[in-house]
Amino acid sequence: MPAQREIEIEASPEEVWDALSTEEGRERWLDEPERTIHVESEDPPHRLVWWWWTGDEPASRVEFLVVAAPAGARVLVTETLPTFPLATLAARFALVAA
Amino acid sequence: MSDAIGPVFAALADPTRRHVVETLLRDGSTSVPALAAALPITRQAVAKHLATLGDAGLIERAPGTTREVHYRLRPGALGPANDWLHTTAAAWDDRLARLKGAVETR
Repeated sequence: MPAQREIEIEASPEEVWDALSTEEGRERWLDEPERTIHVESEDPPHRLVWWWWTGDEPASRVEFLVVAAPAGARVLVTETLPTFPLATLAARFALVAA
Repeated sequence: MSDAIGPVFAALADPTRRHVVETLLRDGSTSVPALAAALPITRQAVAKHLATLGDAGLIERAPGTTREVHYRLRPGALGPANDWLHTTAAAWDDRLARLKGAVETR
């Protein structure tokens, strides 16, 4: 049961992607410094998946879908809270980073 | 609080278990035989699903049942998950509006 929201943006998917996929881009609209973001996968400019968490709280998974729309771009975001423990998640990131 | 929500979402990710929860929301209580009669699965499978729902803190034995065990939703069990959904969706409305503002004024 994810939380899902969407919005239309008058810009190209590439311009939206820019604001999602880099730290500099995110700084323009995301003001939550207490959260750590770890990007899981990127399929520019359409699909971006990241995990984020605050302190000791369980990490949640955020997926962005960016598609072309008459007004420019449509963004669908889905956030889910998975159940596996943080230790497993940390181990998984270690494998990815290695 | 967040630690309890994960198992709730995992429990509700299964359509059979969602059916059980919907049945309980509608009827107040149910039993293994009643569910097995309504679903295309064995009593054993029903019992496993009920165990998962119980482990997630969603259901409990209904009080006062003697011969045939009945189950009901744990009062307030769906609250935290529901709150998370609403809070998270509202937060994203906010963030998406700021994303839109940032991208459109570039």
